Amino acid sequence: MSKMSLSTRMIFVLTLITVLSGGILAGWDMVTQPKIEFHRQEALKAAIGDVLPAHDSYQTQKTEFGSIYIGRRDSISDPVGIAFMAVGSGFQGELRIMVGLTPDMTQLTGIKVLEQIETPGLGTKIVVDPSNKQDPYWFPAQFKGLHISPEIVVIKNAKPTHNNEIQGITGATISSKAVTRLLNEQITDIKTAWTALGGTE
Amino acid sequence: MSSSLSLKAEFIKGLWKENPVMASLLGLCPTLAVTNASMNGLAMGLATTFVLLSSSLMISALRNFIPHQVRIAGYIVIIATFVTVADRFLAAYFPAISATLGPYIPLIVVNCIILGRQEAFSSRNGIGRSLLDSLGMGVGFIMVLVVLGSIRELLGSGSIFGFAILGDWFTPWMVMILPPGAFLTLGILIALANWYNDPSRSKARKVVS
Amino acid sequence: MTEENLSQAQPEQPETPKNPVDKPKKDPREKLYHPERPLILASSPHFHAQATVPKIMWNVIAALVPTTVLALVYFQWAAVGIILTSVGSALIAETLVNRVKGEAFTIPDGSALITGLLLALTLPPSFSLGGTALGSVFAIVVGKHFFGGLGYNIFNPALLGRAFLQASFPVPMTTWTWPLTARYADVDGITAATPLGLFKFEHVTSDLSGLLTGNISGSLGETSAIAILIGGLYLLIRKYADWRIPLSLLGATFLVSGVFWLISPTSYPSPVFQLFSGGLMLGAFFMATDMVTSPVTARGAWIFGTGAGCILVIIRLFGGLPEGVMYSILLMNAFTPLINRYTRPKFFGEVRA
Repeated sequence: MSKMSLSTRMIFVLTLITVLSGGILAGWDMVTQPKIEFHRQEALKAAIGDVLPAHDSYQTQKTEFGSIYIGRRDSISDPVGIAFMAVGSGFQGELRIMVGLTPDMTQLTGIKVLEQIETPGLGTKIVVDPSNKQDPYWFPAQFKGLHISPEIVVIKNAKPTHNNEIQGITGATISSKAVTRLLNEQITDIKTAWTALGGTE
Repeated sequence: MSSSLSLKAEFIKGLWKENPVMASLLGLCPTLAVTNASMNGLAMGLATTFVLLSSSLMISALRNFIPHQVRIAGYIVIIATFVTVADRFLAAYFPAISATLGPYIPLIVVNCIILGRQEAFSSRNGIGRSLLDSLGMGVGFIMVLVVLGSIRELLGSGSIFGFAILGDWFTPWMVMILPPGAFLTLGILIALANWYNDPSRSKARKVVS
Repeated sequence: MTEENLSQAQPEQPETPKNPVDKPKKDPREKLYHPERPLILASSPHFHAQATVPKIMWNVIAALVPTTVLALVYFQWAAVGIILTSVGSALIAETLVNRVKGEAFTIPDGSALITGLLLALTLPPSFSLGGTALGSVFAIVVGKHFFGGLGYNIFNPALLGRAFLQASFPVPMTTWTWPLTARYADVDGITAATPLGLFKFEHVTSDLSGLLTGNISGSLGETSAIAILIGGLYLLIRKYADWRIPLSLLGATFLVSGVFWLISPTSYPSPVFQLFSGGLMLGAFFMATDMVTSPVTARGAWIFGTGAGCILVIIRLFGGLPEGVMYSILLMNAFTPLINRYTRPKFFGEVRA
């Protein structure tokens, strides 16, 4: 060691450290990667399960607008619903929403917000509203069975009267509208993709 | 250069007197960012302590082997390795916590407490002493994060560690779980600590009473 | 009065001892709070040498009377509860802080009363009394005394208290009740959007006469522009407020919003509507002119008011919130030390009286 020149020693030591750390990480990755992938799949499955009607399996189909997930029941040949991930900007940052649609693309079967960084206590009510003890999930629940034509509309301070209307969150108009805007925009794309696949009945 | 404190003092100093957050104001980014709930504070504290302990072990063991000129580069690679280990561990075994803490776990790599302890202590002291020092600093960090997280969760959500403490009568102060709440609470905590440590406090007390 | 003779007129703080260990036995700040003494931290336009803190403060309170009376008329018991709670908590908090700090009681100087009253006037009438007390205590303890007490605070304490409440309870803080006298017009009779909120989210403009007399939904003190103008003009005439600040603030708001209105009258509200809606009048005359937190120089006052007006219009037109008076003034408060620094008069006798 002591006979090495300083620069050789620096190269030697740093190489050793990086190789060592690479080895540790490669080994650790082999242990954790399957588990991480498993959690990812579970989360996806749970989200699809939440937004689609009861189904036995789903099939992933890649399209130019991202993946769509087609839910099927073993007993019926027609799909029970189509899910896709809507991604776009909310009030403060990115929103990722799993959206479920009927196969004829006229109604929503449910939505689930998977990722958001809206204002806690206001915009976060798009996921869950702890201040509403009876029905904390009232906001996402409104989307189940909602008609999407001509487009989804947010109503303020009043009960919705039409089947394409939802009630906005008081104090979080922008978050409420971000969700519906995202849905309105991306459902159109998914419709195109679904038609291209020959899926419309 | 090496420390001359007793082994017990080496551990204890990190808890209060040289507490990384309250005394040195280090590691404030995670302290402010993730303490909107007690659990998040605890998880961040534990992950940081793990990285601190394992890098201290490595660095104090290699302290005479790493050339002085490239020590920081070496430290960073070692720290980054353990941060990645911690990040993958949480993602694999505690996906919920991993999702909540998000980018703040990888960001432990730039936490000044860790590099600071390596440079100031582990690179100059033996393995045992370095581990004790890191453990003290880590426990001190966890304590502050949990206290801060608990105060913010109590006032901002009415609960501590997810258990509802304040009843329905309490309207949560939304600001406490937002970034301003972190600054306010930490500022008040540090003010209280300084007041407690102030040697002239005994005089001030007489004026009050 | 110029900077030079201002600083001569002030008793200087005792010099800090060179050796930090050698601390003075008494807190040197202690004597700064004595209510009988002349104003210590002076700011323009104190042309009256006899102006004392209590004298200024009680005049401000007098100027707030018309607004307070109208708030009581329009919102009745709701206003009584909020005003009493806010003022009461402010006074109690002030007394407690005085005691903890071991200094003379500062209630007689009237500043805590003003903070409590101003905070109450910015709150919606349906706001909870517990929340009101919390905001008031926050304003006094954190907004004023954490910074060192009256004269040392960077931000207007009442606005800071309101900002805390806005961040803590966003929904109750933006839930408005119609004044009792205007309820007949409202079908639901319980909640309504403010004129600014109506414009921002529904694109409805409100009637100007309602904005002037106060028959609109809004905070206790922001409803009637006329009542605020009466009090504000009183302050300006008695020279307890710098006329440059409200003038430049209102002027900048009018001009900037006017430019947008000329560009597109359908998508932006008219500058007249901007002037008379929301908390602008109250903010311009009573919050922005706070002597402690606004610049001392004449040029500084122009910069302060213009800056606040521009920020206000930007928040109102492009921000996520319908109202921006509070944040625009707080932001300019933060700039005040910087403005003072760069607008310091260069030579003797430059400031007009």
